[in-house]
Amino acid sequence: MSTPRPQPIPVILVTAPGPLLTDLDAGTALLRLPANSGHGHADGEVCVACSSQTDVRTLLFNLIEEQRRGTRPAFQRVVVDASAVRDRQRVLDALNGKLPAQALRDHAVARLFFLADAP
Amino acid sequence: MSPSPQTIDSPLPQTDWTDVRAALAKATAERILILDGAMGTMIQRLGLSEDNFRGERFKDWTLPLKGNNDLLVITEPKRIEDIHFAYFMAGADIAETNTFSATSVAQADYGCESAVYDINYQGVVVARRAALRAEAEDGRRRFVAGALGPTNKTSSMSTDVNNPGHRAITFDALVEAYGEAIRGLIDAGADLLLFETITDTLNTKAGIFAAQRLFEERGIDVPIMISGTITDLSGRTLSGQTPTAFWYSVRHAQPFTIGLNCALGADLMRDHIAELSGVADTLICAYPNAGLPNEMGAYDQTPEQMAGQLRAFASDGLLNIVGGCCGSTPDHIRAVAQMAAQYQPRKVPKADRLLRLAGLEHFTLTSDIPFVNIGERTNVTGSARFRKLITAGDYTAALDVARDQVANGAQVIDINMDEGLIDSQQVMVDFLNLLAAEPDIAKVPLMIDSSKWDVIEAGLKCVQGKALVNSISLKEGEETFIRHAKLVKAYGAAVVVMAFDEKGQADTKQRKVEICARAYKILTEVVGISPEDVIFDPNVFAVATGIEEHNNYGVDFIEATKQITERLPHVHISGGISNLSFSFRGNEPVREAMHSVFLYHAIQNGMDMGIVNAGQLAVYESIEPELRDACEDVILNRRPDSTDRLLEIAERFKGQGGGAGKAKDMSWRELPVGERISHALVNGVTEFIEADTEEARQTYDRPLHVIEGPLMAGMNVVGDLFGSGKMFLPQVVKSARVMKQAVAYLLPFMEEEKAANGDVGGRQSAGKVLMATVKGDVHDIGKNIVGVVLACNNYEIIDLGVMVSSQKILETARAENVDIIGLSGLITPSLDEMAHVAAEMEREGFDIPLLIGGATTSRVHTAVKIHPRYARGQAVHVNDASRAVGVVSNLLSDDTKVTFIEQVRAEYAKAAAAHERAEAEKRRLPLADARNNAFRPDWSAYTPPKPTFLGTRTFGDFDLKELADYIDWTPFFQTWELKGRYPAILEDEKQGEAARALWVDAQAMLAEIIEQRWFAPKAVIGFWPASAVGDDVRLFTDDQREDELATFFTLRQQLSKRDGKPNMALSDFIAPIESGKPDYLGGFVVTAGMEEVAIAERFERANDDYSSILVKALADRFAEALAEYMHMKVRREFWGYAADETLTSSELIAETYRGIRPAAGYPAQPDHTEKTTLFRLLEAERNVGVRLTESYAMWPGSSVSGLYYAHPDAYYFGVAKVERDQVIDYAQRKGMEVQEVERWLGPILNYIPNKVAAE
Repeated sequence: MSTPRPQPIPVILVTAPGPLLTDLDAGTALLRLPANSGHGHADGEVCVACSSQTDVRTLLFNLIEEQRRGTRPAFQRVVVDASAVRDRQRVLDALNGKLPAQALRDHAVARLFFLADAP
Repeated sequence: MSPSPQTIDSPLPQTDWTDVRAALAKATAERILILDGAMGTMIQRLGLSEDNFRGERFKDWTLPLKGNNDLLVITEPKRIEDIHFAYFMAGADIAETNTFSATSVAQADYGCESAVYDINYQGVVVARRAALRAEAEDGRRRFVAGALGPTNKTSSMSTDVNNPGHRAITFDALVEAYGEAIRGLIDAGADLLLFETITDTLNTKAGIFAAQRLFEERGIDVPIMISGTITDLSGRTLSGQTPTAFWYSVRHAQPFTIGLNCALGADLMRDHIAELSGVADTLICAYPNAGLPNEMGAYDQTPEQMAGQLRAFASDGLLNIVGGCCGSTPDHIRAVAQMAAQYQPRKVPKADRLLRLAGLEHFTLTSDIPFVNIGERTNVTGSARFRKLITAGDYTAALDVARDQVANGAQVIDINMDEGLIDSQQVMVDFLNLLAAEPDIAKVPLMIDSSKWDVIEAGLKCVQGKALVNSISLKEGEETFIRHAKLVKAYGAAVVVMAFDEKGQADTKQRKVEICARAYKILTEVVGISPEDVIFDPNVFAVATGIEEHNNYGVDFIEATKQITERLPHVHISGGISNLSFSFRGNEPVREAMHSVFLYHAIQNGMDMGIVNAGQLAVYESIEPELRDACEDVILNRRPDSTDRLLEIAERFKGQGGGAGKAKDMSWRELPVGERISHALVNGVTEFIEADTEEARQTYDRPLHVIEGPLMAGMNVVGDLFGSGKMFLPQVVKSARVMKQAVAYLLPFMEEEKAANGDVGGRQSAGKVLMATVKGDVHDIGKNIVGVVLACNNYEIIDLGVMVSSQKILETARAENVDIIGLSGLITPSLDEMAHVAAEMEREGFDIPLLIGGATTSRVHTAVKIHPRYARGQAVHVNDASRAVGVVSNLLSDDTKVTFIEQVRAEYAKAAAAHERAEAEKRRLPLADARNNAFRPDWSAYTPPKPTFLGTRTFGDFDLKELADYIDWTPFFQTWELKGRYPAILEDEKQGEAARALWVDAQAMLAEIIEQRWFAPKAVIGFWPASAVGDDVRLFTDDQREDELATFFTLRQQLSKRDGKPNMALSDFIAPIESGKPDYLGGFVVTAGMEEVAIAERFERANDDYSSILVKALADRFAEALAEYMHMKVRREFWGYAADETLTSSELIAETYRGIRPAAGYPAQPDHTEKTTLFRLLEAERNVGVRLTESYAMWPGSSVSGLYYAHPDAYYFGVAKVERDQVIDYAQRKGMEVQEVERWLGPILNYIPNKVAAE
């Protein structure tokens, strides 16, 4: 018997402070995107490690990994706080599968999550 | 900042890498060496401007160059030299050149591809100058490592998550690009090469390939450092490998160091370095970034913090070389160097000689693993199902086959695409590329299997892990063998070596051992492959074939295995087991028993791998003792009659019974003589054959007529039974024995007749048959059996053996004046070779018949590819040994030859035409023609019914019990992979038991669902005034039909239709606007509700996956049942056009009613994006809580949506493939980009989008 594929998890993108960031239920994971990685690169320049710190896909992948390891309770949706990020289009592109994949995990994230509208 | 002047070129010392290695070995034995820190960080601090980057050389460059740091080695050499010098003086032993992006791939961003060689060369020059300055200051030797970045493209992953099979760059292009960079570095005398910040292991394998090729050309051996990158919590590289798998994948470079850089800060790198340290039998090098930022943004680790974290590495003995990456400065390196000086370097562990393979995860063949199961289901030559999926291009289902194998415990999976009618090489590449994006499959190592080296090589260029090659051999001589083996090594694979040589395939123990020993010597001494990476396949051949020479094949294999593994240290033994039981095909229980018995003995003697269907292997101990003993007798060749004995009991185990009393039943002796002869032939009974032949002889005019009459008739029966799998080969050979005795009995009479009548009808030999297995192929069991069968039918056989060139075949045929040529072959490439022989026969003026046989040959292939090339003579496909006699005798008989050939030609013409038709079906009509052939009902005679309301209406509060009556259970069983219709499935012979148990559980849960109201289904439906406009359905806001509301777009079939059938589109079911008839369209979204998700999760948390899946499957059924229920209400009530309809629920399921409810994304309208319009019109999310994902899936999943068409002729059809003309037209109508439409319609495009665009 083939195992059913997991249901994709909705990701809600928030770009300004509001109730979504504070009224979180137990089934919601919150991700805060940092403004930059602090590796001392020039603005706009990133190394692969920087991108792992700022790329929403890596952070979503890490959520799954944390859940797998039992360090995070199960979650049914994710709220991503992108208020610190200057280039929000990049975040949107990443969540819509339009940003070029940099790692195999980006393919996994594309299957496991989808960008949903705020409720 | 103002540009610096160019510095002078002073001559640099020549680099002697033997000396470098010695100096490095000495230094690394004494202490932890220090690598430098970040170059980018230091360059950024310089605050350079565009002019600095341009310098003199690039001052007129059209593209901005600021940020292309690597250029600075040319335009600001002194500043870069000074940074290197600062690092050296801070304590670094090794500096990395400033050449991270200096490949043509990465420099393309700046249009600087032409400067790549110079950057690499100058990068070494400036670092060397700094090294010499530093050495002059303190007398300590410094080293220059030529840095090679990952490039900005990946060869084992797609950058497009929507198109995982796509690759932005190929292995070959990377070899080219790295080759150029490495030449620059080496020409300038870099002491080492450093592949760093590896984002894709396959890229690095291409780099290693390029480096080693250059080393070989120059006769040098430059130490290579390899450094990967891990940036997320999973602890895997960016291309998804574990640290150990990564190590195994690059180990063939015999690198000076392996390690990690960039990525996380030191503390988070520790576990991964520890893992590498445990497995790598080489030095470890770690150079992390200077820490991680906190959540609020920027801060860099201080030198002390970084050194403090790395201290934990050093004190645990994990380090041989340490340095810093992004964010680190000379101050960091100074602190790290001072710390490292206090600790001893790591001791390099010894690695046992074990076979080490890798996919995304590693596989080590340790002594704990008695036997490696290599999954065979992804082999087109081994699995009919997989072949069908691959030839149909259904890669999704083909990947599921691979996934299931891994899930079922295959430790390695064998991928073979050798199928005559597909482009094996392209399909291999496509499949491997898609597979790479499936972590649950790609985790295991792959066996790349082909009889064509080109296919193997193309496959090796797609895999980042350490794969197995299956196979190479001495078949074409040492030169080819060595060339292939060297490439296997260069691609970093292990290899299966088949035991055959220039003379053919080894059958005896002695030959097997001899050939393997010879191959071993060449591989280990000439090629330099590690013996643990060698797997010998000493050839498993069929036993119990009825041919005496085959009886010892099992013993030969087992004993050879023992000798090979004893004499040739560290090697492994593998084999394709299914060959063994070839003569029992059709009798699976006996085959499984034979395989198990064989493996039991072979494994004890050293066999440790095999291509097997793990799920179909009987357990040795649990085989019925009688069968096991009989198998053992056969395999170990313990008694002369073992084949007969196994045959005797085989039928019983097949489960058909009836065989037992047959031998003793003498009633057949009462039959007429012809039937007795037939019986004797079929049953292989020789006891009465002479008497019966004599009796027959007396009733026929001539002895020859007995042969051509009853004997041949009997053999034809044998042929039919064999052909339909009711007889096995050994029985056929026995039949031939009966035949031979009969002919022998008749011979004296024929001689006598000849003496009396001159040479009329003389029969010294019925004819001369030349037989050969074609060039490149070594399989000859079938051919040998045909030879035996023909020989005992009085044909003279000239058997040229295996791997016979067409030249030799034709020469012999001419010299011996043969009457017929028979070609055999088993592997796919033999098909081409046979076609070649046919063409050569035509060219050289032959006209004798040509027989084609062997496992991969087919009637269609012969008809389409071979027959047309040999017009002078006749090619005939003969795949059954028992048929051969009939065919040959027909072809050689003056009486029957003409008719027979006419029959064959007619048959081939039919087969070719059928093939042609199948191909033609792939050709589509232009859209205009398809539209001209649209479905056009008589609208003038039809008045579309008007729904009882317009707009939308929402429904809830359904009676679950009532809905349950509308459930179609057949798909429910399909979900559980029980195939068959409900309720018959419950009584199915094989699946019934499982189906009944599932049924009981489902009914119990259903009762709970109803009683406790687990689900709260909802539905929304709507009706709108509509008219067809071209291929679209236009909706209006009201019955005035003035204001357009929306448009549903439909796709039209472009198949070439026969018999006047129309090319359908859904719009054909709506009255066209010009008809003036007001028509309507309905739509619906129904859902079992969101509750199912939570309930399923609850079961999952309780570790009850069974119930979790059960509840989801039932929710799906409820959604479907609700869709069916609502459709019924629509027909009878809301639209009301079938108010008098009375159907039972089973009739509903059979869909015998009027009207359809097609869903977007299904065959009648494959475009999922059409759902957007429907959901908007129905306000589905607001009304029933169902919404669309970005891929247009419905959430929650147990939901159904679709459109209602009421026309009495409406039916479900499939649009099937569409051409580009329709896609362009459709995109224009919908206002979408063509590419966007192509993306969504990908599976039904009858063309390859990019290819067309490129043309």
